[in-house]
Amino acid sequence: MLDAFSRAVINADSKTACIGGEELSSLRTFISEGNKRLDAVNAVASNASCIVSDSVAGMICENQGLIQAGGNCYPNRRMAACLRDGEIILRYVTYALLAGDASVLEDRCLNGLKETYIALGVPLGSAARAVSIMKACSVAHINQTNEMYSGTPKYRKMETQQGDCSSLASECASYFDRVIAALS
Amino acid sequence: MKSVVTTVVSAADAAGRFPSTSDLESVQGSLQRAAARLEAAEKLAAGIDAVAKEGYDACIKKYPYLNDAGEANSTDVFKEKCLRDIKHYLRLINYCLIVGGTGPLDEWGIAGQREVYRALSLPTAPYVEAMRFTRDRACAPRDMSAQALVEFRALLDYVINSLS
Repeated sequence: MLDAFSRAVINADSKTACIGGEELSSLRTFISEGNKRLDAVNAVASNASCIVSDSVAGMICENQGLIQAGGNCYPNRRMAACLRDGEIILRYVTYALLAGDASVLEDRCLNGLKETYIALGVPLGSAARAVSIMKACSVAHINQTNEMYSGTPKYRKMETQQGDCSSLASECASYFDRVIAALS
Repeated sequence: MKSVVTTVVSAADAAGRFPSTSDLESVQGSLQRAAARLEAAEKLAAGIDAVAKEGYDACIKKYPYLNDAGEANSTDVFKEKCLRDIKHYLRLINYCLIVGGTGPLDEWGIAGQREVYRALSLPTAPYVEAMRFTRDRACAPRDMSAQALVEFRALLDYVINSLS
């Protein structure tokens, strides 16, 4: 497993070069933006069950067949498995966001996931849809733009310092995109 | 590769839980100390050729028998390789300063070190002398700030201990 720092080291070692100059400045940004990153991880981790259940519910809303007899979220036992998997994927995304590198997500979660789902008969399209809702949800929590319904006030505002989190939000989105890519 | 973040993530993953407040605090702690480490890494990277040369010269000065025919520093090829090895250790120290742990040195420098030097019948004392010279030669604030120097010297000592 790597983090942003060891990733830079692996890259430099392949060229037998020291790390200085440009690579250092991107690592310095990582450090100076460190508190933002921790707040972002906290925003996602603290709202994890909400993000997961909303995403699975959203996936089912769009495809009611899933909870009818013969659907993949019927009966409760399979619905529970679905919620559990959503939580596992979200958990590995928070690890990747904390480390600033996707290797933990790739090695421990995505490697072989598609094959497992195919073997178990899990519909990949629906799984990818739930992940993409989780992506929207997590990005909204990081940027604090989450709302109940359009027009209603925001809810569950984390009392963190305000600032520009767009780069963290897009980094987090890129980890979800990796999950979606791995499933399709 | 072992660092504070990977240790924290491994522990959280083993327990199957999301990163908790205490996990985030540990990461925050390592980020706070990171500025000094990166400064040391930057200064070392900028002067690595000169630092390696000085260390190399110092160890040949202390062990002049290495220049004798058949010894480890006797030909131009050997001289170049001695200097390269010292620079290699300094580069791994640069990596360790970046990562904030001894992972790069452990994995790429120290693992198998004893066996290699024994197989090539190389003495380790000259390496120790080169590292010791570098450690005592470095000085704050001329070369880097005091805190950065502490981090740099700790890793030089780590190499010395592994060689002795």
